[in-house]
Amino acid sequence: MSRKHDVNKEIENEVYCGTLPVLPKERKYGFLDALLVLSGYCIATWSYTQGSYLATLVGFKQLLIGAFLAAIFMLLIYQLPVILSSRYGIDIWIWLRSVFGSNGNKAVTLIIILINFPWYAVCCELFADSMENLLGLFGIQLFNGAHLILSLSCVVVGTIIALRGVTTITWTTRILVPLLLLVGVAVVVVGFTSVPMEAIWNYQPELAGDADKTVNYVLSIEANFAFVITLVGGMAEVPRLCKTERSGFYAGVLGQGAAGSFFVVVGAVMAIAMQYVTGQMVDDPTLMMATLSAPILGLSSLLLVAFANIGTQAVGSYIYGVMLKSTFKKSSYKILVLILGVYVAILCIWGKITEYFGSFLTIGACVYAPLAALLFVDFFMIRKQKLDLKSAYELEGHNAYRYSKGFNIVGIICLALGFVFTLLIYDPINGVIHNKILFMLTPTFASFIFTGVLYYLLSKIPAIRRYIRRDTHAGPDKKPFDRAKTPPRQNIILLPFIWLICKIVTGPYKLEIEKKNMEGIKPPFLVYGSHNSFMDFYVTPLALKPYRANYISELEGFEFFGEWIYRRIGCLGTRKFINDQHLVKNIGKVIKRGDIMVIYPEARYANVGTNSHLTPSIAKLAKLLKVPVVTINMHGNYLQQPIWNLKERKGARLKAELKCVVRPEEVGKLSVDEIFSRISNELQYDEYKYQLENKISIKDEWRAEGLHYPLYRCRKCGKDFAMTSSGSKITCKFCGDSYEMDEYGVLNSTEGKKIHIPDWYEWQRGFVHDEIREGKYKLDIPVRIWALPNSVNFVDCGEGRLIHDNNGFSLEFDNYRSEKHETLVFPAKSMISIHTEYDYRGIYGPCVTLSTYDDTFFIYPTDESRDVFNPTKIQFATEYLGGLYN
Amino acid sequence: MTNDTELESRIDEILKSEKENAIPRMTKKDYIILAVLVGLSLLGIIGGFFL
Repeated sequence: MSRKHDVNKEIENEVYCGTLPVLPKERKYGFLDALLVLSGYCIATWSYTQGSYLATLVGFKQLLIGAFLAAIFMLLIYQLPVILSSRYGIDIWIWLRSVFGSNGNKAVTLIIILINFPWYAVCCELFADSMENLLGLFGIQLFNGAHLILSLSCVVVGTIIALRGVTTITWTTRILVPLLLLVGVAVVVVGFTSVPMEAIWNYQPELAGDADKTVNYVLSIEANFAFVITLVGGMAEVPRLCKTERSGFYAGVLGQGAAGSFFVVVGAVMAIAMQYVTGQMVDDPTLMMATLSAPILGLSSLLLVAFANIGTQAVGSYIYGVMLKSTFKKSSYKILVLILGVYVAILCIWGKITEYFGSFLTIGACVYAPLAALLFVDFFMIRKQKLDLKSAYELEGHNAYRYSKGFNIVGIICLALGFVFTLLIYDPINGVIHNKILFMLTPTFASFIFTGVLYYLLSKIPAIRRYIRRDTHAGPDKKPFDRAKTPPRQNIILLPFIWLICKIVTGPYKLEIEKKNMEGIKPPFLVYGSHNSFMDFYVTPLALKPYRANYISELEGFEFFGEWIYRRIGCLGTRKFINDQHLVKNIGKVIKRGDIMVIYPEARYANVGTNSHLTPSIAKLAKLLKVPVVTINMHGNYLQQPIWNLKERKGARLKAELKCVVRPEEVGKLSVDEIFSRISNELQYDEYKYQLENKISIKDEWRAEGLHYPLYRCRKCGKDFAMTSSGSKITCKFCGDSYEMDEYGVLNSTEGKKIHIPDWYEWQRGFVHDEIREGKYKLDIPVRIWALPNSVNFVDCGEGRLIHDNNGFSLEFDNYRSEKHETLVFPAKSMISIHTEYDYRGIYGPCVTLSTYDDTFFIYPTDESRDVFNPTKIQFATEYLGGLYN
Repeated sequence: MTNDTELESRIDEILKSEKENAIPRMTKKDYIILAVLVGLSLLGIIGGFFL
């Protein structure tokens, strides 16, 4: 019983003073309690300091605007992401692990605490001042060192309250805040009654000769922005205990924007009244009460203010203690609160914290503004309110936020640039304005906007998006790619850059372009190209120069390079081996507006440098569009980077033959068969034959690595999936039969037998056809599935089962779209081939893809099925069953 | 119950409650009010330049 109690207590402590997410049933705060606690956090005697500072800059009316409207404006924006704390029951520092990485977050937390926690030393100093004043009223003179003892006693008492936990904090603030509000009201009443009301209402500061009124107003707004934004680090502790998002959010906004700002105004009223009466601005309410009113009021307010300083110290220690606990989760909350107490005590002993308070405040704002912007953009625009909580808590096997050794380089760079950007606008130490236009936005707000926009734009760069969005499974973008969208023309401004890039990429391989029968051929026309490797996309634009063109691309290219740029360079997105009517319409639109439409009709890279069978539909399309047909047969592209090993082979040489096969005057006259025959004849190729004939020597020692993917069956023992490759050799794992790939791409056995790679490849195909005819072909394996719904992200669908037999494919898995366990069926006759990869993006290994109109499913083997999953064999079976060889 | 098990079960419960909207969400109306407040505050700040 006692042990159970201990465990429960331990968990309770962990929830309220630790990192565990707070469950809905454990929430303690409604709006009022949250408002009181957050008001307690925001109301402090430094509010008076802020008020008297503002009174040196602007008149009372402008001061009111700044204190309330500027504070509320900034709070409404930067506080908005704290709704995540209410929703998930977590501190923002848990979310920020996604922005900075788990280790980066630790570093940022420490920086924030180092520059922010000195505020609490100011509290202790003010407490000591108040106590000295109080004793002074009774004529008691203190001994040397008494000030330090008083300030340290504030640290000790505040720390003890914080150590007692959230219930004590709640009760402290429940008593403290209403009483403090009373003091504030009393100060305002005394202030307004002790001096003529007009003296305060019409107050204008005495400005130095060179002071600019507008600049001073901006500075006052900036001071208010900075004042509220520096609270962002600790503001989420309370919303995570709230019962609704609304109460958590508005408690934060009003706790600071109304209650906190009210005290700033109180401080200003007091300072203005004191200046009116004594000629000196004072920010100590007890002194003001004692001077302007009855000493008893001064005495009672002084006691309350003293208590307020202790309360602030306690609330601050609790909030920052939990913040530290979120970061250093193995440390005890109590130890962390004690460390914070020691840090404040050291600052009190140093004794100069009040002198440097302004610098701490400003530098804090320089860090907080970008931090708040990063949180805002990350929450609303990048992660779209979905966090991978398991990765945020670094549970085993969940590493989405590990990034680069625990640091999210992108987030950290944005934070640093945001910090520098603030300093480029305004030097807060020397008060120098560097950029007056941006200064008018205020340095804090300008930095907020700059950092937010920078982070958002960077997230649009595909490589960076993939880096920072490793958690897409937690909240994937499911919206299907818009295939119907009219493709833009290839951007005329980008065109020279496209040619330049193509020239640079193809340069080392000495590309030769030969044009035949192209005299008088001008757009619009159709281009059908051979498809060997990604190099095709660099060769084709150069061959079609000076014209621009549109290209059909599989959707994964859009995901890899980014949709915006891919559309600008003229790509039409589609999914492979589906009946895409939108694509046909868009091809029609391209031709109708007078452009070139480039299609790679094989729809897949050559596995062993030979062409795939084509279908007559390509000729039907030409007839339908009534435009000339040009073919581009490219050589060397495969040799330079075969799909089974994406390392580039420097010895390759490129050649492209551009030929008009159907001239304008022939389109109407030729039959579909005649057109098809001409296209098919021109798109025949055998890259190994080309290599041998042209004596293209590829000497890379690793030239055969990966060849076992297309050549998977042993020629000697006849076993499937038997081959393995290393260096320049391909060897059978079972019988040891081995072949050396020479520098001209010929396989040589140890007995001196020479094998032409495409022959081996086609030899395997025959066995698959036999298996199907004999009814023996069946694949039924566990697989890993990723869906690609759009150009934004892949969606992890977990493990499923792939069955392939004479009926076609069936894919059984948890469909993220319907959120049900489903079986998708792809009839054999609906697919004439299948997209295959041998090592997708050089990272993910072999896969095949199956497409619906809204998703492309990338299907990988699991550890269990790795040995029997071969994309080539699946492709052979699909092509046979789909009727490509009938 | 180990700390990680407790954490994992809490995360699962939080995700479930998120789906069920156990913690009432900010509504469209809340966001509209917020946008109006932001606009009014901004107007007020701009107005301050003319005082």
